[in-house]
Amino acid sequence: MTDGESPRGPRSDHGFAHASEAEFARILDFYQVEWEYEAQVFPILWDLDGNVLESFAPDFFLPELELFVELTTLQQRLVRKKNRKVRRLRELYPGLRIKLFYARDFRALMLKYGRAALVSELSGTLGQVMTHEEADEPSAPAGPEHESDGNGHLVIDRSDAGSGASGESSPGPSRRSRAARRRAGHRSNTGSAPVSPVTLCKRKR
Amino acid sequence: MKVSQDLVLDVSEVLLTEEQIGAKVVELGQQISTDYAGRQLTLVSVLKGSLPFMADLMRSISLPLRIDLMEVSSYGGTTTESSGLVRILKDLSAPIEGRDVLLVEDIIDTGLTLNYLLRYLKGKNPRSIKVCALLDKPARRLVEIPLDYVGFQIPDAFVVGYGLDFGEVYRNLRFVGVLRPEAYES
Repeated sequence: MTDGESPRGPRSDHGFAHASEAEFARILDFYQVEWEYEAQVFPILWDLDGNVLESFAPDFFLPELELFVELTTLQQRLVRKKNRKVRRLRELYPGLRIKLFYARDFRALMLKYGRAALVSELSGTLGQVMTHEEADEPSAPAGPEHESDGNGHLVIDRSDAGSGASGESSPGPSRRSRAARRRAGHRSNTGSAPVSPVTLCKRKR
Repeated sequence: MKVSQDLVLDVSEVLLTEEQIGAKVVELGQQISTDYAGRQLTLVSVLKGSLPFMADLMRSISLPLRIDLMEVSSYGGTTTESSGLVRILKDLSAPIEGRDVLLVEDIIDTGLTLNYLLRYLKGKNPRSIKVCALLDKPARRLVEIPLDYVGFQIPDAFVVGYGLDFGEVYRNLRFVGVLRPEAYES
């Protein structure tokens, strides 16, 4: 969502890939911590020609804290792939601080805030959000299984959506283009609009 | 939420006994007394969880000091739904400008509340501001804030007692224990 585009309605309709991400954003908003959603894409695998085969876009970047946060509330099989990506990210970008929030962490957070009853609907596959386009498409593999098409093209999971196709050869992390971020449903609270518990906010301080 | 009439029955494990807590609080009090000698100390406690810790800690400090209390809304609380923003429910009752403030907290996990409070209190121009936490749960930390005085580092478990609650219950337990999952899963 770009500044000035403030559609009202459930946050999950506004570009978060998962309901847990929307809830996490609400928590950050509540405590007035600035965040950006899928703000940076980090290439983590290249072919011999330097083309990016795989990249990773952590869910949140908290600029004041210089911390990336990746939420993974999915089943263990998918978490392993996420763990591998985060490990690779840490190897390639050792100065980068990233925290992986597992399902148990998210559950504990909800418990702490008295929202344990919502855990089941905010986590796992129940919490996944499909766009209308995705819903109309034939069943594509979900999430992290989207990693390679075998042709040297960057094929990405939902959190990497919009990071570009093949041939992204920059060795460093890339800021997404505005259009790409819009396609990916980029969210940030670093703008200027006030926060509400329903609509995504831009900035509070 | 199903609460036993005997609260102890809802605890699966005693993490810190009353004696262990008492000894640690005395130790912290002595250290703080040494560090703040000759300074104008104000202890600021964050309601409600840190109340027992504050009560014991202040009596373990031998220096002249002031105390003050604050309360902030918590995410998910009923008082916060209208704004979606953390609010100061009870502010300081006296200025802290020029004073040495020690923020007394029961537990630090994500650090989000502490981060907010420190920003807020720094805006009131204290001479210094430090943090004293009885419990530190680093596994869940999002905001890395240096903790100047820490009682115990605890594992990643849902703990209650000695001020810590679940659904406003269990604060009056004299020890810190791990809550049985049955108590919150129901």
